[in-house]
Amino acid sequence: MGGESLSRTHIGDIWMNSIKKNKEAGIKAHLHVVITDRLTSEFCQLLQRGFMIEAQVGCNVSKFLCEQIGVTPEYVQGRIQSVFLDGKPVDDLDSAVIKNGSRLALSAAMPGLVGATMRRGGLYSSLRSAVTYRETGDQSPTAEGFVQLKLFNLLMKELGPYLLRRNILLKSSDLVDFFKEQSEDFWQGCKGIFFNGKPVDPDLLRGGDWLIQHELVELSIDSL
Amino acid sequence: MYTFGREEEFMDRILRIDMGAEGGPKAKEAPVGEYAGYGGRAMTSAIVSKEVPPLCHPLGTENKLVIAPGMLSGTIAAMSGRISVGCKSPLTGGIKEANSGGQAAQVIARLGYAALVLEGKPKDDTLYKILINKDGVKIIPDNTLKMLSNYDLIEKMKADYGDKIACISIGPAGEMKMSAASVAFTDMELRPTRHAGRGGVGAVMGSKGVKVIVLDDSTMKMRSPKDPEKFREANKRFVEGLRKHPVTGQGLPAYGTNVLTNILNEVGGYPTYNFKQGRFESAGKISGETQAELEVKRGGLATHGCHRGCVIQCSGVYHDKDGHYLTKQPEYETVWAHGGNCGICDLDAIARLDFLDDNYGVDTIEMGATIGVAMEAGLAKFGDAEAAINMVKEVGKGSYLGRILGNGAAFTAKAFGVERVPVVKGQAMPAYDPRAVQGIGVTYATSPMGADHTAGYAVAQNVLKVGGDVNALKPEGQIELSRNLQIATAAIDSTGMCLFIAFAILDQPDTFQSLLDLLNAFFGMSLTADGVTDLGKKVLTLERDFNARAGFTSQHDRLPRFFSTEKLGPHNVTFQVKDEDLDKVFNW
Repeated sequence: MGGESLSRTHIGDIWMNSIKKNKEAGIKAHLHVVITDRLTSEFCQLLQRGFMIEAQVGCNVSKFLCEQIGVTPEYVQGRIQSVFLDGKPVDDLDSAVIKNGSRLALSAAMPGLVGATMRRGGLYSSLRSAVTYRETGDQSPTAEGFVQLKLFNLLMKELGPYLLRRNILLKSSDLVDFFKEQSEDFWQGCKGIFFNGKPVDPDLLRGGDWLIQHELVELSIDSL
Repeated sequence: MYTFGREEEFMDRILRIDMGAEGGPKAKEAPVGEYAGYGGRAMTSAIVSKEVPPLCHPLGTENKLVIAPGMLSGTIAAMSGRISVGCKSPLTGGIKEANSGGQAAQVIARLGYAALVLEGKPKDDTLYKILINKDGVKIIPDNTLKMLSNYDLIEKMKADYGDKIACISIGPAGEMKMSAASVAFTDMELRPTRHAGRGGVGAVMGSKGVKVIVLDDSTMKMRSPKDPEKFREANKRFVEGLRKHPVTGQGLPAYGTNVLTNILNEVGGYPTYNFKQGRFESAGKISGETQAELEVKRGGLATHGCHRGCVIQCSGVYHDKDGHYLTKQPEYETVWAHGGNCGICDLDAIARLDFLDDNYGVDTIEMGATIGVAMEAGLAKFGDAEAAINMVKEVGKGSYLGRILGNGAAFTAKAFGVERVPVVKGQAMPAYDPRAVQGIGVTYATSPMGADHTAGYAVAQNVLKVGGDVNALKPEGQIELSRNLQIATAAIDSTGMCLFIAFAILDQPDTFQSLLDLLNAFFGMSLTADGVTDLGKKVLTLERDFNARAGFTSQHDRLPRFFSTEKLGPHNVTFQVKDEDLDKVFNW
């Protein structure tokens, strides 16, 4: 991965700066957790706060979802009812372009007028026209980069288990908060914890902030 | 004791209780007369606009408190348990309809009443409880109930009258006639967790000297439709439609209304730190997803109905960390008002605030907005949950500070010299910043109710096409949408149906048709979508007429100026809809 592929093409974010810093310094922080299957939904809760994945950027949202996340067009059409790109609701998934460092949030259908307003291509989309995503660039030849993803509500449960099996990058502060909130029952379900390939005592994660020294942590999960 | 009961319940009577009658409060029944065919909001607004002098004092003898179930309440129709409470509002000075779930709508309807109307005012400060069952009405003075919190009050009513009752009550805030006071309705577990919150309706009930109305419909039957076969069949289709839709069948039951936190936050429309910014960095800690997970872990419930017959089940039960009941699942509006708006990211603290609001009987939206204003005034730091809890406790005590806070955000802002006051017609804004979702800003500004997020709800595409097509990019598009949504909402509020049926009805024409079929089969009508629109227009016309006679002008249909001048991050937007366009909303 060349240095230019990590350059920011739009609004800055600590994620991209941290990725660049770690890469340049050769810092690696990989946490691998082996869990019983019932804990998968607990880890899925992390995904609403945002995580990064390596991706081919420069393509439209539709292609990104189908070809890189691996969902079917029918799933996109029927299930992913609200899509936000850099915090703005997207109506046309074929014209909105994923760039390096883009933030993409996905949601199932939401209740009420606001839920209907945020809906992709919905009748009430004019009610939020001031913040609607409007693509100003073109699709470009794809290059390697990073995309920040957020999964909300039903999609968190449906897509989360699949994405957790990939390597995902999380803010260490989110991971630390997550581990601190967990009960004894959770820790009993963690069958193995490894940091950069070496076993780790769960107590280090339970009470400690040692992960904070790494701004970003790569997480992967295996469930038994 | 007033003996009115009969064996069958046609919901064709209005029970009027004159709390200021010579010799003590008196009850009488009257036929619905000119109000025949009305229910819910249509009923409350029709009675208030006709019978309440718009210039009266809201806490005076001329104001009336109207409590009306919906047109389909008391039947087997799913989702038909909503109730409307109407009056002249002490908070806005205009007409008010506040809506609630709970059991009372079903019970009042089965007792045969289309409305209960509290009129007049007692000559002294005696407090009354009112008992209504199939045998009649009893109005009993009971000063032992004074200043009881809602939970303690209901426990006492259960002990005295059994657990087959439904109650309508006020807490200390209503007795103290605070403008943020709510009217509480018991849920299926006989807890006072559902509230007609907006506009100070609890203060009006307090001014009538009524602490609690105890309802018992034992031995009364479900209301019978004109065509039972068609009614059953329409209900079956209606329920199927709700169950198969991802919002009503999955999202809402799994996460409740707080599922909206992540969405609003993502789009930058989540009012944070008293509407200073549109995104709360800790939103994930108080999201519906996080809340549901926590509830289930602690042995509470993430799926629960607020009234019998609810198939959406968006409510829940929240336990504390030791697994004991703390409060009902806080709604999105409560989590926002006491959460992001005040910079608080602790779900347990928010739950405690929710409980206190229910217990003292105050509107959670108004209280949260008020605390946000108080924090802006420097009474506490944003994020200080304990300070927020103490402020609500002051309201319950009725201290000088409590009386300021208990009268709402506008009053508090005036007392402490705060400029950023998110209110319209004196009522605090709910959890959507109008700069990000401008169309909702149109509704906030123009609704006769004041800033109200439920006033312009989605119903059905075919209803919305009445009046022409919408141009998505022009301000007129937002005006027309807001108009049509307000019309549709006014109509739905009259049926007694829960507004959350809206998404299923929007997406599934069959489901909307099944709702029309329910009404038609019950009443023997031939209602169409146009009929729904006409009903909504009629209700809004009545309400606007009342407000005009109360002294409201187009200048009251505006947002506070800072929404047009202060940019909202992260998208740096201001409210851009012009005044002259706002004035076109009700052009029909």
